[in-house]
Amino acid sequence: MSDTASSAPKPITSRFDPRFEPTLYAHVGVPGSHTLSYYRSHGGYEAASKALGLEPKAVVDEVKASGLRGRGGAGFPTGVKWSFMPPVDGRQRFIVCNADESEPGSFKDRYLLEDDPHQLIEGMLIAGWAIQATIGVVYVRGEYYHAYGRLAAAIDEARAAGILGRGVLGSEFDFDLILHRGAGAYICGEETALMNSFEGLRANPRLKPPFPAQAGVYGLPSTINNVESFCAAVHIVARGAAWHAAMGTDDSKGMKLYQVSGPVARPGVYEVPMGATFRELIMELAGGPSEPAKAIIPGGSSTPLLPWSDATLDLPMDYGTMAKHRSMLGTGGVIVIPERKCIVDAYYNVVRFYAHESCGKCTPCREGSATWLPKMYQKLLAGQGTHEDLALMEDMVKHMRGTAFCPLADACAMPVQASFEHFRHEYEHLVDQGESLYPRRREWAA
Amino acid sequence: MSSRQPLPTVTPFFADKQERLSEILARYPEYGRRSALMPLLWEVQRAERHVSEARVEEIAEILGLHATEVKGVMSFYGTYHEHPVGRYHLQVCRTLSCSLAGADTLADFLEDELDLVNGETDPEGRFSLQYVECLGSCGTAPVLQVNDTYFERVSRSRCRALLDAMRRDTLPEPTLERGGDNEPNAPDQEGGAA
Amino acid sequence: MKVTVNGTVLELDPGTSAIDAVFAAGFDVPYFCSQPYMSPIGACRMCLARIGAPRKERDGSWILDESSGEPKVFYFPAMMATCTTAIMEGMVIDTLSKDVKDAQNAMVEFTLINHPLDCPVCDKGGACELQDRAYEYGTGRSRFVFDKRHQEKHHPLSALITLDRERCIHCKRCVRYFEEVPGDEVLDFIERGGHTYIGTLEDGLPSNFTGNITDICPVGALLDATSRFRGRNWEYDHTFTTSLDDASGSAIVVDARTGRIERIKSGLNPEVNKSWIDDGIRFGHEYADDPERLKRPLLRRGEGFEEVSWEEAAAFVAERLAGFSGKDVGVAIRADATLEEGVAARALAQHVGTGQLDHAPRHGPSLVPLHGATVLDVATADALLVLGDVTEELPALDLRIKDALKGVSPPELFAHGVPIADLRLKERMPRASERLAVVAPYRVDLMKYAGAAVQVPVAGEAAWLQAMAAVAHAQPADEAVLGMPRAEAESLVRAWREAQKPIMIVGGFVLASEAATEAAASLAKAVGFRQVLVPPMANGVGLEITQVLPSHARYDYQGMLGGSAKALVLSNLNPAVDPAVAERLRSCELLVVHDLFLTETARLAHVVLPGTSGYEKDGTMVSLEGRFLPVRAAPVDAGEARDLTGVVKALGEAFGQRLEGRSVRSARRVLRKELGFDPTELHRLGLLRELPRRRAIVSLNVRETVVGDSLRVPSLARPEYLGRNAHLRAALGGPALRLHPEDAAARGLRTGDEVVVPVDGVPRRLEVRVSDAVPRGVSLVPATPEAPAGPAAVALDDLVHERRALEVA
Repeated sequence: MSDTASSAPKPITSRFDPRFEPTLYAHVGVPGSHTLSYYRSHGGYEAASKALGLEPKAVVDEVKASGLRGRGGAGFPTGVKWSFMPPVDGRQRFIVCNADESEPGSFKDRYLLEDDPHQLIEGMLIAGWAIQATIGVVYVRGEYYHAYGRLAAAIDEARAAGILGRGVLGSEFDFDLILHRGAGAYICGEETALMNSFEGLRANPRLKPPFPAQAGVYGLPSTINNVESFCAAVHIVARGAAWHAAMGTDDSKGMKLYQVSGPVARPGVYEVPMGATFRELIMELAGGPSEPAKAIIPGGSSTPLLPWSDATLDLPMDYGTMAKHRSMLGTGGVIVIPERKCIVDAYYNVVRFYAHESCGKCTPCREGSATWLPKMYQKLLAGQGTHEDLALMEDMVKHMRGTAFCPLADACAMPVQASFEHFRHEYEHLVDQGESLYPRRREWAA
Repeated sequence: MSSRQPLPTVTPFFADKQERLSEILARYPEYGRRSALMPLLWEVQRAERHVSEARVEEIAEILGLHATEVKGVMSFYGTYHEHPVGRYHLQVCRTLSCSLAGADTLADFLEDELDLVNGETDPEGRFSLQYVECLGSCGTAPVLQVNDTYFERVSRSRCRALLDAMRRDTLPEPTLERGGDNEPNAPDQEGGAA
Repeated sequence: MKVTVNGTVLELDPGTSAIDAVFAAGFDVPYFCSQPYMSPIGACRMCLARIGAPRKERDGSWILDESSGEPKVFYFPAMMATCTTAIMEGMVIDTLSKDVKDAQNAMVEFTLINHPLDCPVCDKGGACELQDRAYEYGTGRSRFVFDKRHQEKHHPLSALITLDRERCIHCKRCVRYFEEVPGDEVLDFIERGGHTYIGTLEDGLPSNFTGNITDICPVGALLDATSRFRGRNWEYDHTFTTSLDDASGSAIVVDARTGRIERIKSGLNPEVNKSWIDDGIRFGHEYADDPERLKRPLLRRGEGFEEVSWEEAAAFVAERLAGFSGKDVGVAIRADATLEEGVAARALAQHVGTGQLDHAPRHGPSLVPLHGATVLDVATADALLVLGDVTEELPALDLRIKDALKGVSPPELFAHGVPIADLRLKERMPRASERLAVVAPYRVDLMKYAGAAVQVPVAGEAAWLQAMAAVAHAQPADEAVLGMPRAEAESLVRAWREAQKPIMIVGGFVLASEAATEAAASLAKAVGFRQVLVPPMANGVGLEITQVLPSHARYDYQGMLGGSAKALVLSNLNPAVDPAVAERLRSCELLVVHDLFLTETARLAHVVLPGTSGYEKDGTMVSLEGRFLPVRAAPVDAGEARDLTGVVKALGEAFGQRLEGRSVRSARRVLRKELGFDPTELHRLGLLRELPRRRAIVSLNVRETVVGDSLRVPSLARPEYLGRNAHLRAALGGPALRLHPEDAAARGLRTGDEVVVPVDGVPRRLEVRVSDAVPRGVSLVPATPEAPAGPAAVALDDLVHERRALEVA
């Protein structure tokens, strides 16, 4: 396996580039795709066998070279994360899968889990080998019961077939999975909160350092990745780092599962090379908005919205571009906000979510995200807001940013700030007129 | 130190489920026994539609914890119930994407249709209603979760049919819709595996 | 490491937290969640600061600032909580800039939005960290116009602690405390987010150490139920003193107001109790305010008593004493008397010319071990063998044992005191249970934390210790006696021998037996243990080394009661609870009793002199580790009550003699000569001294106790006062008869039943408590000063059922 970067041809940044071939999502939706026989008949577990024939470090290097960045939202380079594991010292090591997909607008992992559970198992097996962890933990959010069942059945099948357990796939390597079900807490998507939850504790985020590689699950060396990241690793090992790195932009390599929701013709998940534009995703794949739109949330509700415009639609969806536009790629969960949705109402909805999900550990989040900010929105929406209230809200979210223990308060504050930045007139209209610029809608499909 | 008043005797939940209990405990390493806490809560809730204080104490006893610790964990999560929910526990997502697809109207419809408010169980114990946050069904919004099953793209007519079925104590098969690339009956798209 | 705080440069050890750096530099930063001796968690976000540090190039050299040529400081993008940030070389911390002030204002405002502004009616008002910080760091106004969160007020967490949920600011100190300090997670957060509150499902917070949460609560959410609504902090006189409730030497602060003790808080003594005390010490003071306290001397007139002046009482005693041959007089004091009182008792005995002098309770063997260890040694031990029920007998040691299991050495102190954020401490730290072995005749609490726990038969300690010594000497030993396979015993011995600091803690069950004490010493010698011996009462060590002891074994306390003394002076002792002793005392020609209450013994006395409680006297005590500690009188109205020096002063005056020990000061003149230092000059944290070991201590003229198969067990609640400590009694229940469920069932007994049962022939009124921690066939009854820990005969067959417990629905 080699690197190819320098002499490579023009990178693939469009789904319509003939060189692009879907991998992650190639089998989702196909009847029977969740079974081992289907998976094996489509080349399943060949990548794992290949990885087991390599030195663990070679697998880590391959993933590093692929440029894969964590698909859970933060975008940390996956291979680099794997390399943080301390040297093998006899202590149990864990590879953990964060399948607590809960960020509003994100739903890609769910279908991977439901329809292609073996892809995840294979990815975790590869990662387990790479970091020399013999136990994998899959933490599935409690609501994904169908996915949980599919994964449990897949694990049983894999065990029976010698893919999990002692000496997996005929190698000397032992590897098994613990499947663990959450119970309704968004904060478990934060990696250390997830570990606390797995350990049977309240899911408050932990202090970092120590990072999971030093002290993760049960205080033992652990690495945690998103479902999609593990799945991507399967194809990186199968097809090589160069294949992966041939897709995407400078800082964002490979394929990515984008999700589109809101009023568009064909909402859903689309596998697209990184660097594809919003236009390709929303207008071409998802069929465009079904009514006039005014904003795009690029990657789940915590990412600051971008105003709907030709310029926005032409932005490539990658980490760097989103950062440059003071937003984030997040999970790639794109939400289209229609013109006729009151932005204050929309952001009350967003804030209500974070209020519900605040763990209560730290002051700015418990008192800001979970208490004061939603009350301010209620006051505004009741037509009782003042301009001082708007100033207060802006001041409040300013002080929620960068002061809290974990990113949840930022996740609540940042999008609110962006909504003020781009749609202040809607807030002011509400204050001045006592009612929303766009009245509440009652539409619901018959 | 202080003496606890003995609680009224309740047959322990796991008294006749020792095998299942051992299976759950065996999932986790010995030093991680406490990890079985959430699965044990699930186990009780699945059977009894809530986790009573007696069960909390039983689980604490099994895991060598104080009941307070179990309660602290249980109450942290949104889907463990202190009081019994209905045989059909309806969970409506009202988060942004669902809301844009009419979830608030769906919620109102359910409240009116079932004469329930958020958090209530009806007197017969058939229906209960809970507003929840994002269920990860944004592309197939709005979604109604009945117990552990998702019903997606719930239109008014689908919702009515679903309620009627549940009133007859049947739960139809969920509609497995995917949207996007992998809608089983979507127009064939490049790369889609229809 | 070099750190710069607001321009002040200082040199600090690596591992120091940024918050301690700020304080060390003489600056202040607010905090609510940090608490000395507990893990820093960064939850309240009050201690935010702007922090930067230089970075290194890949080659290890500093990245330099182009203009100055100095290492360039890179600031963190967000403000950092200083409590959870470790210092780095060259770190720059800014706590004064406008951004930081704005953030502090904002955090105060957030904290206050749901906190009721009921300071005028809050007990914590004037001593509230939130109130202070809001003044110092807030803007003085709130923009929160909504109703505050309404939650339960006056919620009784237990009989001892009241919770006001509206005042809670979620700092988590109390929740962390239970997990990190006593290790009993009986309090936790319930719910999440804005709905989070603290609560418990354990009735009455079952832990011996609950009261400490009222000390560390930064607001008025957790309050000492015994003192609620009784006074404001500024109205109290705060007396920093040493508890005489046990021999730990725990520092306490006695808060008194208008002559009455309102509450006791923990004092800080890093080498002894840190900032923790058990509930017995904290809540066990109510007896001092009991309306039945004796306030004036009483003189017998026929069947009754007459209140008299001290002069009259003393004159009566002096006159009657003159009629005795000196050697017929006995003087005995309780073992929690101060050194000064001991000197006074000695002086009295010398004056009348008697060798019948003793303190009680005491064991036969000396309390000064051959190779002793300190409390701090216990806290840093890497192998511990605990013999007995330390959690009840000397709770302070229980906590230090748990420190040792965490393996974090005591922190170095700063000029500002104990580190505010010791970054070595974590939430839910692993405990090295393999370091701890516990041996006791029933299932004691500490066994939960022990790698090896052995339940021996009643009085089986000697045999066990001998068997372990045999293992240590590679001799045969009976596995049934060892209570474990020989291989396990061998690996224990190996671990003890390989340990750097192995310590044996010897409790009352062992010290009650000469043979067991000897066996403990032999095992200690065989594997290299240093020993900590647990005295039965606070100043046992001190009264031993100042020789408040009989001249001959037959003149010991039991000897005096048995008839060797015709005239008796007893201070705070109540032997007449035993009807047989009472019968003998009735024929005593002169009985002088110095006590707080009209006890069974006082009722038989010719003269009763009102005594002072441990909170009302000045003096010195010597803790179990040989630490000399000052005892200071709180300003409490005790009527005409005097301590023993006061008694000796009055008697001396009546004798026309100026006796040594007629005041604390005169006693100290004597002590200075004997000890080589002046106790007047003792630092409040005490002075640790090498103690003289008197191998030839006068052994006990042990009364023929019927060694039964039951036990008198220690309790953190002083049984002699439990009936007068209403809150403590409500929390702990009355003095208990603990029985195995089968034994209880066989007699139709239920938890809560009140019974009268003979214990070594003395009828005791006890409350039944059924517990599977008790072995079958064994009854556990509380030890008392008259009958300290040890084997006992409990005549269950003669039990009288006084009152049945209420049927539980």
